[in-house]
Amino acid sequence: MNRILAYSDRNRKELLRDPLSYVFCLAFPLVMLVVMTLVDTSIPRESGMTVFHIQNLCAGIAVFGQLFVMLFTTLTVSKDRAGSFLVRLYATPMTSTDFIIGYMLPMLVICVLQSILIYAVSFMISFFTPDRLNPLGLIASIPVLIPSAAMFIGFGMLFGSLFNDKAAPGVSSIIISLGSFLGGIWFDADATGGTMLDICKALPFYYCTRSARAAVRLDFSASACWIPLLIVTGCAILLIVLSSLAFRSRMKADLA
Amino acid sequence: MPVNMIETRNLTKQYGPKTAVNSLSLSIGKGELFSLLGVNGAGKTTTIRMLTCLSAPTSGEAFVGGFSCTGESEKIKPMIGISTQDTAVAERLTVRENLEFMARIYGFDKEKTAERVNRTVADFHLEEVLDQRAGTLSGGWKRKLSIAMALIGEPSVLFLDEPTLGLDVLARRELWRVIESLKGSLTIVLTTHYMEEAEHLSDRLGIMISGRIAACGTLPEILEMTGKTSLEDAFVAIAEGEVTEE
Repeated sequence: MNRILAYSDRNRKELLRDPLSYVFCLAFPLVMLVVMTLVDTSIPRESGMTVFHIQNLCAGIAVFGQLFVMLFTTLTVSKDRAGSFLVRLYATPMTSTDFIIGYMLPMLVICVLQSILIYAVSFMISFFTPDRLNPLGLIASIPVLIPSAAMFIGFGMLFGSLFNDKAAPGVSSIIISLGSFLGGIWFDADATGGTMLDICKALPFYYCTRSARAAVRLDFSASACWIPLLIVTGCAILLIVLSSLAFRSRMKADLA
Repeated sequence: MPVNMIETRNLTKQYGPKTAVNSLSLSIGKGELFSLLGVNGAGKTTTIRMLTCLSAPTSGEAFVGGFSCTGESEKIKPMIGISTQDTAVAERLTVRENLEFMARIYGFDKEKTAERVNRTVADFHLEEVLDQRAGTLSGGWKRKLSIAMALIGEPSVLFLDEPTLGLDVLARRELWRVIESLKGSLTIVLTTHYMEEAEHLSDRLGIMISGRIAACGTLPEILEMTGKTSLEDAFVAIAEGEVTEE
């Protein structure tokens, strides 16, 4: 446990001391939150477009922020693999489990803190919008966001293990684009219907935003919250297992 | 603890058709500083990788502290320290944090970690850069930190893979002083390209050519074997095949 905590501490410090992590994981999502709220004020309420209403937008932005934590997980793992720092650690009593949990744990904590900050700013913004956010809904939504955080961290670990430090961020960027677009963060996926909705529903991102938005509304019905949450949890478990296997296999190859 | 801290028997490593280390048999005593000399691609780093359980031999055996590098790596890892060719430090952590991190990796509790960090900082004179991030250190300081990190776990065997590569003469001399201060207290395996470094620091030397130990012994023994007056001349004679070990 001491080794896991030591490695988690190291990874947390490496991330929090990178100024770019604040720009991408915090400043950019918050800027988007403000910008999209301003966009929402320009859209007539009669249009029925609710995706940028603060109670929908805040959960979408929280998921959007998690996508960048995925990018930084990818960068951390792939850069560590490219240098000789991991080689040095391979020659210590560190096991593959220590490495895997040591990467995931601090990223998960950062995701939770990020969601709290995004929701806190959203709550303040809601005083200036027609829709006041319910603090209970925001609090309830934070644990609901944990499985999606785990899933994105799993993606990050997977790409960081499979690709080198040049290719891995590019692959992560594809997931950022797919996740933010097909996750229904920037448009109302349910309102589109047809093939577009089918594609959204075939990917896990849609369920991340759907379950988080339902929790913000304090709607804990099976269709709105629990079933999407179950799907995201399943995907998170799958991604964590796959990324652990990929990391172990890469470590085994490095030690061959 | 065995008298020989390191022993290899016909240790061989092949990468596809290329044989990086060829049937290496070697014994290194407890407390000895043994230098592996060789040109690029001679097999020095591959040998270190096998001895530190970072690479599995294709055939043959290696033992560190009496434990097999292939089957008992979990017993070897707590007793070794390695400083790789590249300075493997956590760039955004301070010098103190890097040392604390490594101490915790070796399972030390809070008190023991503090004690080891204070001791290592004093031994390596790291006080002036203690709260500086590792990424901002000069090459010489980074190497010192890298070796300090390798030592913080109180290893019985220290592997230094080209520790002074790319350093200026002053930084190199400073590192020599550090390495010299460690002599006798633990077994050290050092790889280097620099003849004067090997001459200055080693108890015994092994000259590797194309994956084989072409000559092995103390400096006077190697000079006697080759009939030369300097290690550099002896090395060239061995590398060019003028002299082969009996």
